[in-house]
Amino acid sequence: MRWLSLMEKIRAPLMVFPAVALIVLLFFGGLVVGLGQSLGYFPAIDSFELTFRYYGEVLSDNTFFESLWQTFRLALLSTVMSSILAIAIALVLRNTFRGSRFFTFLFQLSIPIPHLVAAAGIVLLVSQSGIIARAAYAAGLIDAPRDFPVMVFDRAGTAIQLTYLWKEVPFIGIVVLAILQGIGPQYEEIARTLGANAWQRFRYVLLPLIMPGVLSTSIIVFAYVFASYEIPLLLGVRHPTTLPVLAFQSYQDPDLSLRPQAMAMSIILTLIAVVLLVAYKRLARYAVNT
Amino acid sequence: MTHVVLRDLTRRFGGVTAVDRLSLEINSGELVAFLGPSGCGKTTTLRMITGLLLPTSGDVLFDNKSMITVPTEKRGAVMVFQKHLLFPTMTVGQNVGFGLRMQGVEKREMQRRVDEMLELVKLPGFANRRAHELSGGQQQRVALARALVVRPKVLLLDEPLANLDANLRLEMRELIRNIQREMSITTVFVTHDQEEAVMLADRIALMFDGLLQQYAQPQDFYQRPTSARVAHFFRNDNLLAGIRRGAQVETALGTLEVDADRTQQPDGKVLVTVRPEDVRLMPNPDEGNCVEAKVLLQVYMGTHTQVQLDLAGHTWMVHSPAHFQAQVGQTITVQLPRSNIWLLPESAS
Repeated sequence: MRWLSLMEKIRAPLMVFPAVALIVLLFFGGLVVGLGQSLGYFPAIDSFELTFRYYGEVLSDNTFFESLWQTFRLALLSTVMSSILAIAIALVLRNTFRGSRFFTFLFQLSIPIPHLVAAAGIVLLVSQSGIIARAAYAAGLIDAPRDFPVMVFDRAGTAIQLTYLWKEVPFIGIVVLAILQGIGPQYEEIARTLGANAWQRFRYVLLPLIMPGVLSTSIIVFAYVFASYEIPLLLGVRHPTTLPVLAFQSYQDPDLSLRPQAMAMSIILTLIAVVLLVAYKRLARYAVNT
Repeated sequence: MTHVVLRDLTRRFGGVTAVDRLSLEINSGELVAFLGPSGCGKTTTLRMITGLLLPTSGDVLFDNKSMITVPTEKRGAVMVFQKHLLFPTMTVGQNVGFGLRMQGVEKREMQRRVDEMLELVKLPGFANRRAHELSGGQQQRVALARALVVRPKVLLLDEPLANLDANLRLEMRELIRNIQREMSITTVFVTHDQEEAVMLADRIALMFDGLLQQYAQPQDFYQRPTSARVAHFFRNDNLLAGIRRGAQVETALGTLEVDADRTQQPDGKVLVTVRPEDVRLMPNPDEGNCVEAKVLLQVYMGTHTQVQLDLAGHTWMVHSPAHFQAQVGQTITVQLPRSNIWLLPESAS
């Protein structure tokens, strides 16, 4: 009996063990190795002393802070703009109108498409030799394709933002749309008979109801954009680039002595991301509830 | 205190007419029940009064002013829905104060009025609770307080008691009636429960298939139904075909005397009806209108005995005193008192 009850107790932990082990091993394993290297423990170059020297080097370099700002700016703008657009489109798509199902299908189309393909598509569309520039030139709107505003490899990161928008708006949008469809029209109808105008109904009734969904998806978007390197690498300027790109470049350098610095950058990036995510969640909750 | 007029109100959904040329007046401070089976158009009418639904044709007037172009949020017609639907992200106090907040009422004044309303619906001190912490009845009372706090011109209640158990329903009926009287708010109440309508309403609008059948005081639906269908809805299926000639109706059971002043049906084919509780099983021969009937069934109901009779091929239900006893199959004499006979149009049978 005692054996049976013990089995009963450990059955659930045993069943989730393989999945948890994989996550712990891959994530925390990498993190521990990275942390060790950032602290100078790197047997490959005969370095065993534990030191904060590499953190000091990273934090005293101006490039790091320029990249940090660029990373933060891109992540925040992409997240906020994606969330706003996603909510707006979901509000339209929840109504039944002629072709609404088709538009909903169209809206979700970009979700399975990889970010890299999206980036290539955006370049084809908005670069100075892209489709829009050529169309504008053909229509006589600009004198030469080079007159088209620079949107790829620009400091503002326009093409990067567009790529993220194209990918992340539907991601947040389908969650918001599902919530809106679940809510139904009655809360708004009650609010309406109680004298709430369209903006008040959105602000005080709908927004608090959809906010948990918006928060959880936008946090994923923020975390992804903050830590992703392939899009800024492909579409962004070399300087200032984003932190993940900076870390990746140092990591890839043939000079292995730069590796601890790359790891220090990654660890700092992780810490900042965690702090920002917590702050973002708290701030958004506070904003909705007041 | 708002006087409401519905004028030829019609609403079609595709080929289906949900409400058909509905016209009626609701006096200031009156409580009117829209009664009828599911799908008869009563909720559609309510939504047209709020403006949540636009009529296909016709007009809604508040104090002789057309509301057709006035948006819902400016009509002052507040609706309490069947499901309580408190805003789940707000506390009870925030829910009740919602309408005031939308109007920009100052915070302290809002607080005062919210507390006053919670007191009125017997939920003092509940302001900081969350909606999910309340029982169904409490949630419904909060929904009522939320509607009343804005002092609506018209209060519209869409089957607000349908989700409550029997005891709570009685309690809520009383509460609604008392508050409505106290505040003198013009109120429209949708229900499919005739007992509820009778207990609560000053007047009842009975609807079938989008058409208004009868708009009158509750007792008229018992004493003066306009058709056999209306009588049936109020649990009276006692019908007997006849031909009226002045103060007499010839039936298969003989000639019945009727009160000529009481009934408005013209001479010709009519249906004679007497409510189950008005048929006399112990007749007084001096008063006439005695007919032969065969006992088909009798069921003891505690407070009375329900007797099913065959009157010339028509099945009648009679409520007799509890001690009444007869044999099934026995032929007895029953009396259809002249003052209780009501005549219905034959075509509506």
